[in-house]
Amino acid sequence: MSFWNRSQQEPETQSDTLPSRALLWLMVSFALLLTPQFDRLPVWLMAVCVVLAGWRWLAQQGRVRLPGRWLRTGILLALIAVYLIRVQGSFTVDTAASFFVLTVGLKWLETRTARDFYVLFYILVYLATVNFLFHQEVHWALVNIGAIGLLLIGLQVLNAPELPGGMKAGWRRLGVMLLKVLPIVVLLFVFFPRMEPLWSVPLVSGKARTGISDTMRPGDISSLAQSSARAFRVTFGGSMPEYRDRYWRGLILDTLDDGTWRQSGYEPYRRPGRVDLDGGVGELQPQEYDVLMEPTDQRWAFALERSVAVSDNVVKEADDLFRFRRPADSPVRYRLARDNSPEQTVPTLEPGQARRYLQLPASGNPRARALAADLRQSNSEVGVIRSLLSRFREQPYFYTLRPPRMPDNGIDSLLFDDMRGFCAHYAGATTFVLRSAGIPARVVVGYQGGESGAGDEYLVVRQYDAHAWVEAWVEGQGWVRIDPTAAIAPNRIESGLRDAVAEEGSFLENEWASAQRYGDVALIRWASQQLDRINYQWQRWVVGYQGQSQMDLMSRLPGGFGIKELGYLTAGIVGVGLLIAGLISALQMRRGASRDRYGRVLGAWYQLCERAGVPVRSGETPSALASRLAAAEPAVADSARLFARMVNSHYYRPQSKSASARDGSDEIQRMRRLLATMRRQLRKAGKNQRSNPRHLAHSGKLSD
Amino acid sequence: MSRLIRSRWQRWINRRIPRSDVQLLTQRNLFILPTAPGVVFGVLLLIMLITGINYQNSLIYLVTFLLGAVFVGAMHQTHRNLAGLELTLVQTGEGFAGDDILFRLRAAAGKDDAIAVTLSDGDTSVRIGHVPSGQSADVALPVGSAFRGYLRPDRIRIETRFPFGLLKAWSWMRPISTAVVFPRPIAAPDVVSAVDDGEQTASSRSPEGNDHAELRPWRDGDMSQRVMWKRFARSGQMVVADWEADKRSPHWLDFNAFAGADHEVRLSYLSWLVVERGKSGSRFGLNLPGQVIEPDSGPAHATRCLRALAVWGEEKPRDAVGAPYGTRRTTDSGRRAKPGAVI
Repeated sequence: MSFWNRSQQEPETQSDTLPSRALLWLMVSFALLLTPQFDRLPVWLMAVCVVLAGWRWLAQQGRVRLPGRWLRTGILLALIAVYLIRVQGSFTVDTAASFFVLTVGLKWLETRTARDFYVLFYILVYLATVNFLFHQEVHWALVNIGAIGLLLIGLQVLNAPELPGGMKAGWRRLGVMLLKVLPIVVLLFVFFPRMEPLWSVPLVSGKARTGISDTMRPGDISSLAQSSARAFRVTFGGSMPEYRDRYWRGLILDTLDDGTWRQSGYEPYRRPGRVDLDGGVGELQPQEYDVLMEPTDQRWAFALERSVAVSDNVVKEADDLFRFRRPADSPVRYRLARDNSPEQTVPTLEPGQARRYLQLPASGNPRARALAADLRQSNSEVGVIRSLLSRFREQPYFYTLRPPRMPDNGIDSLLFDDMRGFCAHYAGATTFVLRSAGIPARVVVGYQGGESGAGDEYLVVRQYDAHAWVEAWVEGQGWVRIDPTAAIAPNRIESGLRDAVAEEGSFLENEWASAQRYGDVALIRWASQQLDRINYQWQRWVVGYQGQSQMDLMSRLPGGFGIKELGYLTAGIVGVGLLIAGLISALQMRRGASRDRYGRVLGAWYQLCERAGVPVRSGETPSALASRLAAAEPAVADSARLFARMVNSHYYRPQSKSASARDGSDEIQRMRRLLATMRRQLRKAGKNQRSNPRHLAHSGKLSD
Repeated sequence: MSRLIRSRWQRWINRRIPRSDVQLLTQRNLFILPTAPGVVFGVLLLIMLITGINYQNSLIYLVTFLLGAVFVGAMHQTHRNLAGLELTLVQTGEGFAGDDILFRLRAAAGKDDAIAVTLSDGDTSVRIGHVPSGQSADVALPVGSAFRGYLRPDRIRIETRFPFGLLKAWSWMRPISTAVVFPRPIAAPDVVSAVDDGEQTASSRSPEGNDHAELRPWRDGDMSQRVMWKRFARSGQMVVADWEADKRSPHWLDFNAFAGADHEVRLSYLSWLVVERGKSGSRFGLNLPGQVIEPDSGPAHATRCLRALAVWGEEKPRDAVGAPYGTRRTTDSGRRAKPGAVI
């Protein structure tokens, strides 16, 4: 009985040792650090974390007890079982992050002593670090750093719970500290050598990201059209292309199978290599453009037609498509150039390729096939394309984000019955008809458009700019771009989706919180543009400050810095920084100590006495010291006594501020002169006593 | 080996921090090192840096440098918490052996606030807390005493871990002043029996006792009141009346009354007797070899007697002696023999 009582009471008394406020800051910080993970974590885990932290808080308030060892083990096992069932053996970054958060949640029940508090502190700091892997925008950086700040405040409270001022004083102290060290941080950031990665673990997420996919079922892109998430941002070295020319090619779908367009080319799996983010450095040439792409977890890159790769992290593959060397699991910057030189050779299509681009299912959509045969009979290749586009232009086809369901023979119903569809529908149908007519054709998926960012400095392409169009092989000309959407809804191509579906009112109809939805309100538009600009610059210059860009910056400095020199420089910065800090603090101490001029003169006297063999004792009056000094060194007896009198008269005379202030400097002068005299006298005496050394010192000691 | 290093370190510290009742903390005598959480924090920073390198993540670099710089800034802050602080031993307490003796110390902050300061001696520690700049705070530090006599802790440690607990700055104060520790009271056997007998025994002794004043030649340390001046005037011999009988009277507490007992035990008996008499408020005198305290009453008298018992045969520790004095810690480690037993 007594054993049980004790084992239950012990933790409670210990938990009292943690100040509530410190715990509160830790919890707030935890909540803040979970926000960047919000889309990544399962709901049940969030709930568990809230419950566990709440339990800890109630225990702190004394309302409930913290669980004993058995209950705690039970909770631990139960939660880990739930976790394992949910994860089902798949190891991705998401599951790892979930596990990490779960451990923090469980740790709440165990936070009893200061040591547990520190363990939580470390875990949460590392959680902030992990957050940086996934979110690098300015606001997320601020959230993370703010959360770390809260942790540091919590530590302050833990170490000084009685300190008045609370949070405000804590923040002020922290802020002052940060301001002092900021120069060193900036220098370190700029000069710390960016080494090659030591090893690499891919950050492949199990969760599908918002973005285009490598299959196209009618309807896919229309769901993308409801997202205002950013796809990529582009800065042009020269002028921006016209809106209608902004076709960003991503991938090619060439196989129609069961109503779905796919890529037939087998994309060889590359072993995830080292992270290679170098996206080109230096000024942009007029033909060049610089793309900062949001993570897609895919290898494809988006490029304008007829581009060439400039930076090393993208390679041009077949069909004029660009691919990264590894999946883009974090924001990637790459650089391309438009190639305006006229093509030298007349392109040819190999028979195998032609077969690939003429593939069709054996049956289905008979009316579309009949239309193709009809067109083909009366026209050449170009004629087929022209008449098909004019059919789209003249007949009442509609561009809509709310297409009807077309389950069977979808292409037939789109072309002849419903006549309402989205770019993906029309692109698929066009490719089908062209192939039926014997013209090699393929669906191209990517983005079309993009609006200017703040100050027209760059282009923002969003998910709702996702687009699908057609390329057809025309003998003698090569691949020619055909966009049926341009024929049906010219607005879409000339000014974007917003105008194209303005009548319908379906633009971002499910995204209430998106700033783009309210793009016609000038203020919101301006604010979101400015925010995006800050983020863009942040990502280009701070987040993207990596190996090559550092080397580029260093090469502009005189002296030709290599990575080795950078290492030396960094060590030097740290050393000099510490030295300066030490010097400043030493100076401050000295100034503090020497503020009192009397004190300084007195100190000099004490030193003199010590050298003469009369060390000062604590609590000794000046005259007592003087008489001892006189006994030890008769030569200075008179001066010493006079000096002691002056010290006494300074410290013990009645306070009259104005008089003392005026006389002060005078008196100090006289005392200094007296000190100098004593020193001289001592030296002289010392010379005389050289034959009989240490005698006086001894007598001085014995006299007490 | 480690003992050698430790004793060297000890000597180095003792040279650096001379004994004094007033200690001004400056760069000369302040020490600063990372705590265990601080070391782990350093490892964490290393892990963060490796994460940053591996994922080529600039922001992780940034936050690592930021936290590293905060660590250095904390070093500054931690040092400043104590720098300029003046620690004064204001008063030493008194008590019985085995008790905790209170040492009153005053911490006066310099031009910076002193935050989250703790004083400690061995296992006991006292939190001073926050002393704003220019102000001072008093605190009583209990020091465990082992035996009667003078008590002086070797070093009083003053420490702070503010702001983050990742670093600790500390210094020591090596006080000169000593506290006085009274002998631990032990119920005296004689009196136990006296209580049984009641007044009878005491009263039957006192009349005959007065005649038994033994005369002996004067020797060094005898008080002048005891000299038989009349006899001196007659014969010129310094003769002292040894108040053997007088001391048997209930008014006198006598060191010689407990034949066969160890000195320390006798002192403990006397201590108990003094406390008892002090409580009842009766008159009593104290006779110790070499020291006699005339009968009197009242708490001041009792304290005087206790003090005399405490320091009997003890030598006041000299300033220069670095050894700690009478604390429990030194006894436990057995470095120093009990001084009273030697006499």
